[in-house]
Amino acid sequence: MDKLSELEPIVGQDVIYQLRGLAERLGRQRLVHVNSTRMGGGVAEILQQIIPIWNELGVEARWEVIEGDQSFFEVTKAMHNALQGLKSSISPTMLKHYEEVNHTNAARLDLNADFVVVNDPQPAFLIQHMRPRARRWIWRCHIDVSRPDRRIWRFLRTVVSTYDASIFSMPNFAQNLPHPQYLIYPSIDPLSEKNRELSPEEIQSVLDRLGVERDKPIVLQVSRFDSFKDPLGVIQAFRMVRRHTPCKLVLAGGEATDDPEGPRIFAEVQEAAQGEPDIQILLLPSESHHEINALQRAADIIVQKSTREGFGLTVTEAMWKGKPVIGGAAGGIVLQLRDYYTGFLVHSPEGCAYRIRYLLHHPEMAHRMGIVAKEFVLRHFLITRNVRDYLTLMLLCDNPESQTIEL
Amino acid sequence: MVAIDEPAANPFSFAECFIVPKPTGKTAANLRELLQTLREVNERVLYYHLWQFRMAIASPAVEYPNDFAIWAATAAQESRLAEKFSAIDPFGYENWEEVREALIDVMEEYLWDLPYITWVRPGYEFYFCEAATVVLRSRVTAQTLPEFCAAIGKVGLDSIYYHSIDARWRLRSIHLDDFSNWIKVSYGLPELVAAIQGIDISFYTLDEIRTTIVDLCTKHLDHLHGQAQRT
Repeated sequence: MDKLSELEPIVGQDVIYQLRGLAERLGRQRLVHVNSTRMGGGVAEILQQIIPIWNELGVEARWEVIEGDQSFFEVTKAMHNALQGLKSSISPTMLKHYEEVNHTNAARLDLNADFVVVNDPQPAFLIQHMRPRARRWIWRCHIDVSRPDRRIWRFLRTVVSTYDASIFSMPNFAQNLPHPQYLIYPSIDPLSEKNRELSPEEIQSVLDRLGVERDKPIVLQVSRFDSFKDPLGVIQAFRMVRRHTPCKLVLAGGEATDDPEGPRIFAEVQEAAQGEPDIQILLLPSESHHEINALQRAADIIVQKSTREGFGLTVTEAMWKGKPVIGGAAGGIVLQLRDYYTGFLVHSPEGCAYRIRYLLHHPEMAHRMGIVAKEFVLRHFLITRNVRDYLTLMLLCDNPESQTIEL
Repeated sequence: MVAIDEPAANPFSFAECFIVPKPTGKTAANLRELLQTLREVNERVLYYHLWQFRMAIASPAVEYPNDFAIWAATAAQESRLAEKFSAIDPFGYENWEEVREALIDVMEEYLWDLPYITWVRPGYEFYFCEAATVVLRSRVTAQTLPEFCAAIGKVGLDSIYYHSIDARWRLRSIHLDDFSNWIKVSYGLPELVAAIQGIDISFYTLDEIRTTIVDLCTKHLDHLHGQAQRT
């Protein structure tokens, strides 16, 4: 069975018909997505899921990954942090190395296509060497660039300006650029190993393997060990909750090959949790989608206390599983968690603790919130909506001046 | 006019409507900035925030009918202003400049009495957007009223948006939407036309609009069939 047929009972026949209709209007196109890692992180996951759908719709899609050494990924991680507002100390030599790695990759990659979608800053400079290979170049920015470090954004802007269009995940991430900027929300795949339905036995088997007991309500945060995800703030909140209500905290994080900062933050989290038997820290390999799925389904409350966030797909995943979610009021989390309807937004460890306590004492509210949250994801944040937006954008890209196209 | 089971002179041709929002980069962090920017932005921005946003992302519960009211209530914490914005019915105006004037008028009056202006928290600014739209002719058409009723239950929510909400602006001079207009032209049926036109879209999600139209058409068809059998 192809993927679209499997999605049809979940999203509805009308949605699948629409995709087929749009793809037919677009005609046979070659599309290449480029990013910097095949495993780990939300971007790699979206690309893994979306490529088969493109091909089923008749769009000839490929996925290319740039390669780089340790120092390249250190620069791009620092750049990522700087674009999210952290003060950076990226030297001109580091930036030069970043450009050189892009140049080296340009000689290696096959980007002959109608559309090239370059994800995030890591491969952004490929366009300098490969512009004629594709008809349209689109820069897809997944990170929160609402208040970027001025110097690094100025550096990146010179090359981003040469693209035909940019895509951001939130309206406040939009920048002063000379081309059309579009808004496309990221998405999750309900059929993926991370989101598919699991039997109670499958869930229990994962918990047994990871040594997670269900003797108390489970509060869970799933995220990379990254300072912007504020795992230390979650531990602080948990300690406040524990003074009132028994529960346990599970912090589960994957590894991404393009994040050299992870081990340091992980060590800090371990230190903060020392001496607390009800905090479990799980460092999972990047392909642990099944384990993450089971943990999310076993949790009573899911937290994503980010202080900066591109979109927050872990929030989407938790909502899709019908869980009550408490999220930091940052980036795309604000869009997903409509306070009191689809989840709770918080601004501090104290706020996070307070909402955890509330939900632990009001399971009926937690249940109702989870139902509304799942419906909200079904309407707006599943992969079929993402594909529909890309198809629409590709139709628009060839008519950048028109606000409305009637076909 | 023809009987309800007879094919209409012109079939109803459903359209599919896809939008991609486009951030303009303009923001407002307080009411004065909102007012100033409302004066400057093009009509597509008003169009987006008054009803097109419902296609981009619709709240699970319709509390306020437009983005300006939602922002006034949630970000600016000005519930009284949100209520005033909610009372603006854009479909009751002749053109965009009148709609803009109505929005500006509400804001000026509100600001006149306000002792001080507060700023919203960072991240809660109003981000002005517009949208690019692709409208496709769907393969779905309806020849008769029963076919029309069945099709409404099956087409995407984007079609419901296009024919029932967006159409109210396109057909504002005759105070109808695409659905009620087709029924009126093809079959007459003034009661059904008035009932569909009377749906207050401010308070319905797209799903609810669909269900309400299907219910109205079904009841009306049953009633007419009952009448036919009795005679």
